[in-house]
Amino acid sequence: MLIAANVGEDVFRAVLQGTPPGAVFALIALGFVLTYKTSGVFNLAFGAQAYVSAAMYFKAKVEWEWPTFWAFFISVILLAPAIGLLLERIIFRHLRTAPAVAKLVVAIGLTVAIPALFELLAGFEAVAGQTPQGILPDGASVFYDPFGVYPWSRNELAQLLVAVTAMLLLGAMFRYSSIGLSMRAVVESPRLAELAGVNSNRVSSLAWGISSLFAGLSGVLIAPRFNTLAAPDFFNIMVVAIAAAAIGKLVSLPWAVVGGLGLGITISLFTTFLPRWSDDLSWLRPFQENLTPSLPFVVLFGIMVLWPGIRQSIDSTDPLSGVDPPPPGLASSARSKRLTNVTRVTAILIIGICAFWVFAKADVGWMFLVTQAVIMSTIFLSITVITGFAGQISLCQASFAAMGGFAVFQLADRWDIPVLLGALIGAAIAAAVGALLALPILRLGGVWFAIATLAFAFFFDSVMIKFSWVGGGDTSLLQGTRVDRPDMFGIDFNNDKSFLLLVIVVFIIASFLVVRVREGTVGRTLQALRGSEVAAESIGISPVRVRVTAFALSAAIAGLGGSLLTIQQENVNYAGNFAPFAGLFWTVLVVTLSARTVEGAVMAGVSFGLFERAVLRNVFQLSGKWRFVLFGLAASQYARHPEGILEYGKGRSFGRLDALLDRWDPRSSRSGDESSSESEEPTVDGDSAADVDGAKTGGTR
Amino acid sequence: MTTLLEARGIAKDFRGIRALSEVDLTVEEGERVGLIGPNGAGKTTLFNCLSGVLQPNRGQVMFDGADIGNLAVNRRALLGIGRTFQRLELFNDSTVREHLLIAERVRLGTGSMWKDLLGLGRPTSDEIKVCDELLDLLGLGEIRDEPIEALSLGQGRLVEVGRALVTRPRLLLLDEPSSGLDREETATLARTLRDVQEQQGFAILLVEHDVELVADFTERTYVLDFGQLLASGTTDEVLADPAVRRAYLGDADLT
Repeated sequence: MLIAANVGEDVFRAVLQGTPPGAVFALIALGFVLTYKTSGVFNLAFGAQAYVSAAMYFKAKVEWEWPTFWAFFISVILLAPAIGLLLERIIFRHLRTAPAVAKLVVAIGLTVAIPALFELLAGFEAVAGQTPQGILPDGASVFYDPFGVYPWSRNELAQLLVAVTAMLLLGAMFRYSSIGLSMRAVVESPRLAELAGVNSNRVSSLAWGISSLFAGLSGVLIAPRFNTLAAPDFFNIMVVAIAAAAIGKLVSLPWAVVGGLGLGITISLFTTFLPRWSDDLSWLRPFQENLTPSLPFVVLFGIMVLWPGIRQSIDSTDPLSGVDPPPPGLASSARSKRLTNVTRVTAILIIGICAFWVFAKADVGWMFLVTQAVIMSTIFLSITVITGFAGQISLCQASFAAMGGFAVFQLADRWDIPVLLGALIGAAIAAAVGALLALPILRLGGVWFAIATLAFAFFFDSVMIKFSWVGGGDTSLLQGTRVDRPDMFGIDFNNDKSFLLLVIVVFIIASFLVVRVREGTVGRTLQALRGSEVAAESIGISPVRVRVTAFALSAAIAGLGGSLLTIQQENVNYAGNFAPFAGLFWTVLVVTLSARTVEGAVMAGVSFGLFERAVLRNVFQLSGKWRFVLFGLAASQYARHPEGILEYGKGRSFGRLDALLDRWDPRSSRSGDESSSESEEPTVDGDSAADVDGAKTGGTR
Repeated sequence: MTTLLEARGIAKDFRGIRALSEVDLTVEEGERVGLIGPNGAGKTTLFNCLSGVLQPNRGQVMFDGADIGNLAVNRRALLGIGRTFQRLELFNDSTVREHLLIAERVRLGTGSMWKDLLGLGRPTSDEIKVCDELLDLLGLGEIRDEPIEALSLGQGRLVEVGRALVTRPRLLLLDEPSSGLDREETATLARTLRDVQEQQGFAILLVEHDVELVADFTERTYVLDFGQLLASGTTDEVLADPAVRRAYLGDADLT
């Protein structure tokens, strides 16, 4: 480490070092605020768009060997705004009146789908070690040192200059052009601007064009920082930009710039000074390397929890939003008894055939996938609880699952505790963490709750797993060690069939309990809160207590599922199973299919585990990446069918089936109240009955 | 009669705009009290200060002799303050009966996650009986298994009343129960309310635009205007007060 002459110079150096990335953060944050204010979309997909531009640039420049200008032109000037305009035109314009949470779900879907679609269409494959290049020749090796303190590389200089120029141009446009004036009016007061005859479609298109251009520009500028182009890195940058935008409460353009620069500089200050402090204070040492990358997430989380003003700003963010329409009732509650019987018989038949095939015929690979599908269904039940029952979108379920997995591993590795007992302890740990996490954030509204959980997922990912008592420290990360499958009651669960039976039993118990909670006090209380919080309080319901309960329960189920996954794979495999990106994917998958039923969780588990091999590879012979694209398409339907496309499809096909049965069976008339109230009590049979039915229709869709 | 609710010197500002200034109001046990005033007079704001949705800037709210000013909405509800809402606040995806059942469970305070997990969380036959009796009383027995989305506005208001009554309130705050109802529906609502109230003996504080309903239904009345108490006294006196007529009623004919 350099011995600095004095602290002042170090601070100055840190400022110089932090300014270029800060300017890029500011650029994305600006675009983010612009879209958020003009169309109410919390567009997490800017990260994906930045990645696409960076990848396009890389492809044109390195693979096609185009000159820098043309590579820049096609990736930033053409492609980036085109994507933004396309998204606005075909998706988000139709979602203007959708609830903010629905837009967030769509944006997350796009975050996953856009990079996959690009990679498929352009045939792009990131190659490890192929470092992206900047927009200036020899960007990483030529330095300028204007102050004699810190040498800026050409890449950094380009980041700083281009970002500042873009911001100045935006400022000039706001100041001098009429469309800029309209846009400023919409940003300041959307409703008034509408009343004054501003064409909000035009403004919204322009905002999407500009902010996507900024995203693409940022992607190309920041890419040289990474060794290899990979979409999740750009998503991380996106989260930093959200933190920057949150400093301006997501509504102020100047504060977004200040936030971006401030975060860039603060990060570099931490990198400079934290190692020095931790020399003296030994307890700081574990944080030394871990805290710095997680700083934006800590800032983001802190802003949301500590800043009451941010909650009030929510109302102004949704320019033309209407009243949330109530989601349609569940198909199961509108089902006649006869129909239930028909679906139940069909389902038992299908389950029987599947079970026979799996246990008698399936090879090891299929066995593994089926087991994983069942375990994932268990994990997805946790989303049924928190999103389906409590109506909150949590993006950190993967972290809870990871806690379960780590607990099993640590307990088995250190104290030889049986893995199944470890799984229960892991679930309890996840529940405790969930309850603690819920306390500060449960007063936050829909989108903010989601973002706070996302910040937690990233915090867990960048800090917690590096502790030796959590993830085993960054040296080993538990790789290479195996945790043995249990051997109990005289059954050796190293046998895949026995283990599959075990996870099926666990899943059935878990879904039983989840259905009981739905019908019990907690479920009915959550239903009341979802309907009307103020009315629920007026009859004596304490929102805090029941929401903490729901979050803890959900975390416990995720923890249990995560530990089963660890036992199945005999290792935690954190990066592959539980990274924050995975949690994002899970939640959107479940919510898109159907968050409110057990069968929704099963369908999500089946599509997660089996869809790629069963449908894409065996039937269509397509790359596995297509499932991300399909996933994004499905998610973009979410706003139209908030009950989930599975429920929507079921409602329709059941209606038709019922009409068909009516024709066959003249003496039956739809019996009245009694049977409908009876069929409303879904047994686990009924639930899993319908799911295979759903699996059939879902699979062939 | 003893004083059930006593509000003293309630004042509430919204970003410098005074919504309420120094309002005093009392409700005796078992009494029916009206609260009228033109739009924007601060009626609903006062309601929200009493039920705990809003925190007044100054003033004291006493319920049954205890200061409840620092209690959250749900704590006040458990003490016996029930309310309805001007814009319907119902629980989507629930049937009429489910609205009452959850309120009854919360009142009993017997629910917990552990009981749910053991399968003991479903409504008990006692709870169902209590709720069904109340639904019959309100004339909702026929539609108790209907989803809430299928109800008319008037029925929705009755469900809100029923949901509040299940909590066995000692004071029921009714926020414009007649808004959006036609004359006949209003009359039915008033009749039902009076029957139930006479049977159960709780007090009512009624915010209302419909002066006829207030004249018919309440014993005493407060008049709010621009956040200040304009008049108070027995309903007959208040409605005859020239100042009240000028401020609020115009030249309306009261028959």
